Amino acid sequence: MRTRPLALLPLLALALATAVQAQDFPTRPINIVAPFPPGGQADLMARPTASAMEKILKSPVVVVNKTGAAGAVGMSFVANSKPDGYTLLMALSSISIIPEADKLFDRKPAYTMDQLIPVALVSADPTVFVVRADRPWKSVKEFVEEAKKRPEGLSYSSSGIYGTLHMAMELFVNAAGIKLKHVPYSGAGPALTAILGGHVDALASAPAVVIPHIKSGKLRPLAVWGDKRIAALPDLPTFKELGYDIEFYIWAGLFAPKGTPEPIMKKLRDTVRAALQDAEFKNAMAKLETPIAYLDAPEFQKFWDKDAKMLADAIKRVGKIEE
Amino acid sequence: MVETLQNLTHGFAIALSPTVMVYAFAGCVIGTLVGMLPGVGPLAGISLLLPASYGLNATTAIVMLAGIYYGAMYGGSTTSILMRIPGEAASVMTCIDGYAMTRKGRAGPALAIAAIGSYIAGTASVVGLMLLAPPLAAFALSFGPPEYTALLLLGLMVLAYMSGGSVPKSLSMAALGLLLGMIGIDPMTGYSRFSYGVVELGDGIGIVPVAVGLFGVSEILLTAGQAEMPKVIKPKLRDLMPSRQEWNDSVWPIGRGTVLGFLIGIVPGSAHIISSFVSYAVERRLSKHPEQFGQGAVAGVAGPESANNSATSGALVPMLALGVPSGPIPAVMMAAMMVHGVSPGPMLIHQQPELFWGVIASMYVGNVVLLVLNLPLVGVFVNLLRIPYPIMYPAILVFSVVGVYAVNGSVVDVWIMAVMGALGYLLRKFDFETAPIVLGVVLAPMLEMSLRQSLALSSGSYTVFFTRPIAATMLGAGLVLLLFSLRPLLAKGADWRQRFGLQEESTLEKEEEK
Repeated sequence: MRTRPLALLPLLALALATAVQAQDFPTRPINIVAPFPPGGQADLMARPTASAMEKILKSPVVVVNKTGAAGAVGMSFVANSKPDGYTLLMALSSISIIPEADKLFDRKPAYTMDQLIPVALVSADPTVFVVRADRPWKSVKEFVEEAKKRPEGLSYSSSGIYGTLHMAMELFVNAAGIKLKHVPYSGAGPALTAILGGHVDALASAPAVVIPHIKSGKLRPLAVWGDKRIAALPDLPTFKELGYDIEFYIWAGLFAPKGTPEPIMKKLRDTVRAALQDAEFKNAMAKLETPIAYLDAPEFQKFWDKDAKMLADAIKRVGKIEE
Repeated sequence: MVETLQNLTHGFAIALSPTVMVYAFAGCVIGTLVGMLPGVGPLAGISLLLPASYGLNATTAIVMLAGIYYGAMYGGSTTSILMRIPGEAASVMTCIDGYAMTRKGRAGPALAIAAIGSYIAGTASVVGLMLLAPPLAAFALSFGPPEYTALLLLGLMVLAYMSGGSVPKSLSMAALGLLLGMIGIDPMTGYSRFSYGVVELGDGIGIVPVAVGLFGVSEILLTAGQAEMPKVIKPKLRDLMPSRQEWNDSVWPIGRGTVLGFLIGIVPGSAHIISSFVSYAVERRLSKHPEQFGQGAVAGVAGPESANNSATSGALVPMLALGVPSGPIPAVMMAAMMVHGVSPGPMLIHQQPELFWGVIASMYVGNVVLLVLNLPLVGVFVNLLRIPYPIMYPAILVFSVVGVYAVNGSVVDVWIMAVMGALGYLLRKFDFETAPIVLGVVLAPMLEMSLRQSLALSSGSYTVFFTRPIAATMLGAGLVLLLFSLRPLLAKGADWRQRFGLQEESTLEKEEEK
């Protein structure tokens, strides 16, 4: 059968249209969905990113808070959105936790990770391990020794079951071969209140949140989960230095629904790369005391895969909690 | 003391500067509006306006957000009193007697007392915040899960006194509320409960749709079901201000509400909501005429409205003194500080004196602004009652749907409101009170969390509640309350409540004589 050249026209037109779309993109406002309420980490990261992107694209970029079910509502919203580049997601590490938790409980997953593709990593903040300053442990070694003497005798608070702060602690507990009592709270704020009130002994936390309390002498930092020391606490060793092969970051990254055309993805990646260089953006992040950690899509994908695998293992290890 | 005055003078210099004044005023007006809109409460209002505050400096931003918070407590009473729709969850108790007063043609005095009570409580609690913030915040931290469990149980025991009708009925309603509060992801294990695959139910049932449905929608349904349309109440000018008797009946409830609200506000949680329930119960308990509650007792408006205002200042204590949030609203305000590079922490008062004292001074100013704003508006609001029901009720339904939807942008919330409206209608037809359901929904997640946290800490041993002094004291008090509320069931004594109320009053009088 002879191929009629005309039959290929619609295909050609489609290809052209996509190219034109990418060139013109964006012709209307882009929405960045923050799956947590205003003032939460995702929101705080999304807003400066959006305003820097806006300057570069010369077109509005709007942050939309779509909250609920620990972020699952907003994330599944973007995962199921039209892949046209106009609906993006500012997600935190928890993006890899929710599908795993759904799997654990045989729930219909709200979304799957392969429904989303990474655009860029924006920030990564290593968590800090703190204990109450009035407790005797001056180092991780002393803490571990005490914990080995009294299994489940020492306790820690977290932002919630299977939450990021729980996961960070679980990595340490597993690496050190100890058993601690886990007391989940509803959010990082109440978890901090619990350790300040002396109701628990330890906490994993974002540095910015605990540094004021370290300075005031209420809390003592023992280690940091990053692969290098942090600027704000230069004397604080990393877990790696101490011989524990663990790393954990509270990160924020931009995602798009799977199937977003390559030209549009390229434009988005270029825009975000430039946006993260913006002076105002840098200033905003400095005020939030959150380190910028840019990774372009391919490297971010690698980072994400590794992080997701580590979290999946941790969740499986924790398993279902039986009471 | 001299130092405090100096600092305060400095604070007033900041608070009275034109820019800060403008934003304080804007915050108060916005707060009044979000308070009045059914559904949209202070949390939604502050969250929506948080991004707008990013362009301001830290002090101005916090001044404005705080203005929205306490402004909402003023506004919340308006629709509760006029239409029996809680403008926000802390005004649920105001619905009962406030609306009853409206039906008696006393809407003006109810609104005026609510505004004046709010003003007194607001101002007095700022004094408390200013003088006592650091020691009180330290006390608040000593509240761990066991203390918290005991406090919430005590709160539930208070229920028995809240009910006008039968104790079993109100306890069963509270149980229903607690059950509704169980819906969602189990906070300790991550299991989904009763959510039937609806992702939005993972967070549980919101208080706002439940309150608006049970109170507002059910009222509209009940009115529609009446054979005869209720008469439109035409307010007269001389009925706008409270009578001497109403004043006298309000003075003590305002005072008690202020103290209670402030103390409850310091303890983490949705304190402004709980404080209004507790205040109502206390007033009812202390009243010489408990039978008037539910029929338009002015004390039932004065107490809760003062308490919820004073709780807002209380809630700011841990935030400003220690940098820890005592609930979702202070948490959002702390995020606003962080955006401006101010790290909330125990050194805030020393490192950012202009912020702390500026906010304190602006709260004095803001409360005056709100009083000046709200008192003349009483006349305007009361005239809303002239609108015929066939026009007003559909309009209210529209506002309720929009308001409930706006909070999370979730249609599921609108459905919850509709279901709760139908449920509220049925329950009221059968003479059940619906307020305990709201209290149950508020308390259930907190009670469950703190109970199970306590048991996690004690490795499953219940002794933790009796070995800690604060927890044991509160549990003891709760037990006594429970026994007293069960007494009529056991002894079948008639009108025990009134007798007990009188007895209490006479002992109070004796104490005053001393």
